[in-house]
Formats: sequence, structure tokens, C-alpha cells
Amino acid sequence: MQKQGASKRALGGLDLSIIYKIFGGVLFLYLFLGFMVVPCLNTLTSIFTTKDAAGKTDPLAVIRFFFTGKMPSFVWNSLKLAVCLVITVNVVGISIVLLTEYFDIKGAKILRLGYMTTLIYSGVALVTGYQFLYDSNGMITKWLVEIMPGINKQWFSGFNAVLFTMTFACTSNHALFLRNAIRAIDYNTVEAARNMGASPFKVLFRVVMPTLLPTLFSLTVMTFITGLCAMSAPTLLGYNSINPEIVRLAGSSTANESFPQARAALLSVILAMFTIILLTVLNHYERKGHYLSVSKTKAKLVKQKIQSPVANVLSHIYAYVLFIIYMTPVVMIVLFSFQNWAAVRAKALNPTEWTLMNYFGTQDFQYTRSNGKTATRINAISGVFSNEKTVGGIRLSFVLSAVAAALACVIVVVAVNYIFKHRNKKRAAIVEACLLFPWLLPTILICYSYRVFFNGNIWYVFGQNLYYRENVRFLIIIAYTVVKLPFALRMIKAAFYAIDDELEDAARNLGASQLVTFLKVKLPIVLPSVLAVFALNFNALFTEYDMGATFQKSEGTTYAMVIQSMCNEEGRDNMNMNASGRRCASTVFIMLVSGLILYLVYGVGARDLGERLERREKRRKFFNRLLGKGDAAKKAQA
Amino acid sequence: MIQLSDIVVKFGDFEALHNINVHVKEGEFFTFLGPSGCGKTTTLRTITGFIEPVSGTVKMQGSDITHVPIEKRNIGIVFQSYALFPTMTVYDNIAFGLKIQKLKKPEIDTKVRDIARKVDLTDEQLQKAVSQLSGGQQQRVAIARALVTGPAIICMDEPLSNLDAKLRVQLRNELKKMQKYFCITTIYLTHDQEEALTLSDRIAVFNKGYIEQIGTPNEVYNHSRTEFVANFIGDINPLGEGVAKRLGLDGKQHHFIRLERVRVNREKETDEYQAQGIIESREYYGLYIKYYIRAEGQVIKVIEKNDGINIYEVGDTVTVGIHPQDVMSYDAQ
Repeated sequence: MQKQGASKRALGGLDLSIIYKIFGGVLFLYLFLGFMVVPCLNTLTSIFTTKDAAGKTDPLAVIRFFFTGKMPSFVWNSLKLAVCLVITVNVVGISIVLLTEYFDIKGAKILRLGYMTTLIYSGVALVTGYQFLYDSNGMITKWLVEIMPGINKQWFSGFNAVLFTMTFACTSNHALFLRNAIRAIDYNTVEAARNMGASPFKVLFRVVMPTLLPTLFSLTVMTFITGLCAMSAPTLLGYNSINPEIVRLAGSSTANESFPQARAALLSVILAMFTIILLTVLNHYERKGHYLSVSKTKAKLVKQKIQSPVANVLSHIYAYVLFIIYMTPVVMIVLFSFQNWAAVRAKALNPTEWTLMNYFGTQDFQYTRSNGKTATRINAISGVFSNEKTVGGIRLSFVLSAVAAALACVIVVVAVNYIFKHRNKKRAAIVEACLLFPWLLPTILICYSYRVFFNGNIWYVFGQNLYYRENVRFLIIIAYTVVKLPFALRMIKAAFYAIDDELEDAARNLGASQLVTFLKVKLPIVLPSVLAVFALNFNALFTEYDMGATFQKSEGTTYAMVIQSMCNEEGRDNMNMNASGRRCASTVFIMLVSGLILYLVYGVGARDLGERLERREKRRKFFNRLLGKGDAAKKAQA
Repeated sequence: MIQLSDIVVKFGDFEALHNINVHVKEGEFFTFLGPSGCGKTTTLRTITGFIEPVSGTVKMQGSDITHVPIEKRNIGIVFQSYALFPTMTVYDNIAFGLKIQKLKKPEIDTKVRDIARKVDLTDEQLQKAVSQLSGGQQQRVAIARALVTGPAIICMDEPLSNLDAKLRVQLRNELKKMQKYFCITTIYLTHDQEEALTLSDRIAVFNKGYIEQIGTPNEVYNHSRTEFVANFIGDINPLGEGVAKRLGLDGKQHHFIRLERVRVNREKETDEYQAQGIIESREYYGLYIKYYIRAEGQVIKVIEKNDGINIYEVGDTVTVGIHPQDVMSYDAQ
């Protein structure tokens, strides 16, 4: 925008705006340096400041240790997982999108719902759910052994288990973004190719796939990073990749092994280097266009019938096998959440007995001692909503996630408004780069850096130790916020692009100040997107595992950590036997919360004013008819 | 009413407007006409205050408003996209400016309903979302919103450009009617010469940051001051050396004649120059037919009313007549 006449103000106003500018700049620098740069730099330097036994600094000690010890195996394991995931996730991800959006498969709507369950059922809940079904005494493994006795009962462990679980858990991005990309295809191009004699499969590979390549490239990079930074699956299923090792080292001390902190730092820096390289490639590639933004459908795609009967039947079978794989854990978790502890423990459904004890049970667990007498285990309450520890975890996660998600939105909205006001200027680019900065760093590096750096009295946070006791909650909020900034920025910036410049001009012309224009005109337009970002971030943080695990501490036990601890207690005699049932119920609760939020965002929030008014009108007519009938009945009675 | 004197606008090193001088009179429908990038929008934005000129003054009703903030200028704008606020109802859109002025609720209500009636918006439409209205209705909302605050002048930035052809003609007529009804000074921007000719009291033709000509539609069309204006407005025949020589015109100048001024198969009048030509091709428009006639070593375009009388076939030999006083001549640049 050109220099605006209205920006000339009286001297008083000018002074005030300079004060605002200085204050804003200082605050920005404080936040960026204090909570992004300094802690991470501290981690980086800690690698090179290791002291040997004599207390002398040995800058290369960790590096030497790295090459002589077994540390490279963690890196190798992570890379192996990432590479394999790229293949399997792409195969499954592309399949589910083609089966529901491109090919004419019967029951596509139901199939899509099944494939989309990962949106509400993910992270630690999903991993524990898979473990429940597939481990050596899991339902499905037992069933498999019955029909194929030669099968290895232990198949679901280590690398296999992680790869299997993550293959199906990590297709959410495909389900969202690849679906948008395929729906944005101009159907006329498909018709043109068919008209020129290409078979449906030829059309798919020569016309459709090439237009999806940019999206697929982005998804591939994102999947690779997900694999590299995997946390909950390797930890819970026992696979020695980088992240679980970092968390283990972070909690270790020099008494047990040599310089664990420096090793953790080195590993997180290695992870960061991989991420930076990959994201640089992606960024360079994406600069040619916006691939991750939601695109509008132009000419609607008509689903392709698979001509060959054999291929058609095979495709249907494939589609429904995938559907079963996606749905079984969800259905089983829901069913088992209504089963008593004996059934849950035996992992066998008991169709005659159903209970709500996993949700609302208030009694402590009773067990039989070896001497035949029963005893009560105090605080082993089975109901999710009665167990203090579980409710505490839910409450803490709820508050921390809500605060952090809101903070991220506020920061990003203010920043994006600033970026758009000063677009084409260096200042805007700098602000944007700073907000995208956390994207370059693996979550674990940020959290690890926070944990180590703020575990001491830092002068710029008023001399407080932010890792100390309840303070850790504040630290978790900061970490949650920082980690979610890049995603919020990308989505909200895309929303700001949708604001017509003329709207701002119109508001100003009608006499609105810049603040009023922002609050009354611009904010309402981007609000649905902002709320969507808030909801998605909240959803992700509510059951977030990686950060909770890094900060683990009794004052900062988040919901995911509670679920994990239930997992540990499960099956151990004399411990909390109902933990398993409670975990199922917890998972159902998470799915309900996530599902509700997604419905609010995509179902309700996506409606524009016109649709809302139409619905209101329909409701009004409906109630009028109801009331009118009621009146008529009254009159008749009278 | 509004007077621009020696306005210069620069974007960095680029001088977008060079010494613009315009005087729009009270109640006048004044059009800025020109191709995209000619400076008409920049001039409008200077009037409305979105751009501050490097030099020159903007005066409204005698007082200098060059440095008056946008919101204090009392100028209504109808934007190209209408710029209706999508998150507000039609009512709230129109009431926006009044709310900013902090008028009382009953007063706002009276004013909104009053202006809505004048632009033919029903009470039911007022409660709708903008997206539920048709293009024509949206335009009326935009006009109502611009007028409700009682501006001294209203500016319209290509308000018909994103409508289809039929609606465009229909709304053009409505616009003109409304302007007469409200008797409000209007500055209208367009790149469509037909729109400019049909709507305007006067037209300023813009080119590359200069005003080439200011005049009534007839002056601009029939007495184009520059070669650019002659070419930009309506279709025109450049006359080749052969014709020019025969007409006894200055060989150093460029000469043009409007299509409808070329006479075909008419009796020779005094001073008229005539030549034989052959119909090379024709375009059928329904209302009229355009013929391409090869004569004197060039193609001359002619239009004839489709009245069933002057119908020629390709290959017919015809006489082409030109009056020297109909020729517009310009110095070669």
C-alpha cells in the first residue's frame, strides 16, 4: 500500500506510535531471543563444553564417543524407519485417497470415515490401541495364530510394530491434503484424455498423478520428518530410534553413564540438521506455489469406474481390508471401554457383561492375595472421570493446550496483520522467518533445550527456575505455543490472503480507524480459519506425547503421560488392574473430544453468513410450525 | 466542486501521474476513461485520500483537502469488487459508516431503511447475507452504503467490470437513473468506451499518466484531440498515403476517419472524394454489418445499418466516399 494520508498525525499521536513501535520491537526480540535462540544455542554449545574426569573441557569428547559407541545405531534406526515409512505411508495414503475420491468404489463414504479415523485417534492413544490388539497375547494375534499356527506370536514388536502402526497412523495428511489436491483436478483434462483413447489407468498415471506430484512431494518430506522424529510409537513399542534415546539421556545423570546431556544435545542437533536440510529442499520446491493451502474445486471430478471386473473386485477387497485395519482398533477400543477388568485383561470380549465402570466407576480395586484374602488397592479407581490422577491429567492437558493454542493464535494473528501491512518490506520477512523458525527445529530439540536451559535461575525470566515444580507448567505452555507457531502462521496467513484489499479501503473510506477496520472487518473474515487453527492445535496438544515426555515431572503430568503410565501398570498383579479398561475409556473420551472439535471446525465453522442465516430461517420456520400447531391444538381444546 | 491542480504522484522513481488537472462540476457525471495502468485509479485514489500526491492540490468545494485523512473527506466510494463486508448482513453493511459516526440506533435505522428503499432493496433483503444477493443487488447495496453517509461526491471504480454483458447494460442504465435521482456529483472510472459515452456528462481520457482530452462524449468521439483518443474511443480507419494524397491532406500527418462517416454507393457530394472498391469480407452484427472494402491500396472499414437496403456481397464493386471535414488529422509523434 502507498503512503497513507491518514498516517500523518498530530505530534502527540506520533509520539505514541513510536512508543508502540519500540515496545513491540523490544517485546518481539525478548520473546524470540529469550525463548527460541538462547535455549537452543545453549544446547548446541553444551556439546562442545564437555568436561573430562579431571574437570578439563574437552570439546570433541562427545563426537569421539559418538563414533566409538553405539550412538550411530540410533540415527541409523531412525533413518531406516523414515525411509520405510515414506514408502508404506505413501502406498497406503495414496490408496485411501484414490479409493475414496478417484475410483468408483461402493460405500466410499463409509470407507472415507474409516480412513479418517486417524484424525481423532492418533498419538499415544492409537499406539496403545494397536498394542492392545496386536501384541503377543493381543486379540488379533491370537486369532491369526489360530488360523495360521506357523505365525510368529511376537511379530508385533520393535521395528515391525513401529512401522505397521505408523503406516496407518500417519496417513492423516494424505487424507486431508492429497484429497484436496485430487478434488482440485480439472475433470475436463480427464475427459480429454479418455476422449483421445487413454484407458482409466493410463489417465491416472499420465494425467492425474503428475498434477498430484507437488502435493505428494510435500507429503513425502513431511512423512520422512515424522519418521525421523517418531516418539510415541518407538517408546511404547520398544524401538531404539533417536527421540526416545534423547528423552532417556535427558533424564539420566553422569553417575550412570558418560555425559548423557551432551549426548542428548548432539542427537537433537543431528535431528535438527536432517530437518533443516529436508525443509530447505521443501521450501525451495514450494516456493513455486502454495501446495498446502486448501484449494477450491473448479470442475468436479467424476469418479472413474474400474472397467475390468477382476481389477474391480480386487480393488474393493483391498479397500475393505484397509478399512478393517483402520476401524478394528477404534471399534475394539470402544467395545472394550464398556467391558469389565477381567475381559479387558484377558483381551477377550464378554458379550454378556457390559459396564460403565471404566468411565464412572468409583470403587478402589480389590484383588485376592496369595493367602486367599482380598485386599483393596487405594487410589486404584477404575473410572476415567473418578480417578483423580486421570482427571488431573485431563484437566492439566486441557488448560495447558487451550492456553497455548489460544496464545499461538493471538501471536500469529497480530504478526500476520503486521506482515500484511508491511508486505514487500524486510521487517515483514524477518517477523515471518522468526515465527517459522521452530519449524526447522525438531520439537524434541526445543523441549530438551527448554528443560536444560530453564532448569536454573535465568535472569530474564525474573530469576526464576522454570523447570522447578509448578513452574514447569508455564514452560510447557511456552513450548506448546512455540511449536505450534509455524503451523498457525501458514494457515492464518493463507486466510489473510483471502481478504480483498478493497474491503480495508472501503472500511477506511467509511471512517473506520485502523483498529476498528481490523476488529470489525478483517478479524471476522479470518475468524473461522483462526478458530480452526485453534481447534486443530488444541486437538494435537491435548493428547500430545513428545513434549509431555520430555518435561515429565509430577507437576507436569499431561494426559498422554497418564495414558502411558496406565499402560505400564496394566497387567501387573497387585498394581492397578483396571488401568487397561480406564485407558480404553480415556481413548474413547479423546476421540469424542477431537471428533466434536473437528465437527465444530469443519461442519459448523466453515459455514458462511449466508448459510448460517438460511439455517436460522429454516429453524425459525420449523419452530413456528411446531408452535403454530401447538396453538391450534390449544384453540381446539378451548 | 472538485478540482485537481497539477497533481503529481510517484511510486518510488516511477511517476504515475504527470500534472493532472481536472475540474468536476457540481452534479456532473464525470468519467475517467483509459486502458488499465493509465493512471485513472491512481487519480481516484488521490481524490479519495488513499494516495498523497508529491505535488499539486486537491480542492473540494473550494477548500484544500490534499492532506485531509481518508475518513474525513466525505467522499463515497463504490469499489470494483463492491467490497461488501462478507461477515455482515446487508443492513450492517449499509449501517457501518453510520455506526462509525456514532449515530443513535433509531437514526441509523431510519437512514438505512430510507436509502434502501431508494435503491430498491426490500426489508427482507436487508436481513440477508451479501453472498445471498445477485450481482445487481450487490451493486445497489454498495451504492446505498456509499450514499447513506451523505457524501458530497461519489466515486465509482469500474463497478460494472465483473458482470456479464447483459447485466452490465441493464445496471448501466440503473446507475444513470440513480445518479439523476440523487443529483450527486459522480466520478466514474472505466476502460469501456461505450460505458463512458453513454453515461457521462464529460469524459477525461487518460493515457500513461497524462490526460489526453477532457470533453463531452461528442467532443471526445468526433473531435478527438489526440491520435490516442481517436484510436481508443470507437473503431476508426487510418487513412493510407494514397487516400491522403487524393484528399489533399498533409503528408506528414496521420489521418483517420470514423467507420460510420465513410459513405458507400452514395451520390457524390461537393468536396467529397470518391473511389472504387471491392468488398473483401464482412462481419454480421445483427444491428449493423461491418464491411471491409479494398480501395486505393488499403482496407477501409465501413458499417451499414442492417435495414435490408444497403446489403453487399463479398466481391461486389462499390464506391467509397469520404468528406475531408470528417477526417481527423494528427501530427506524427
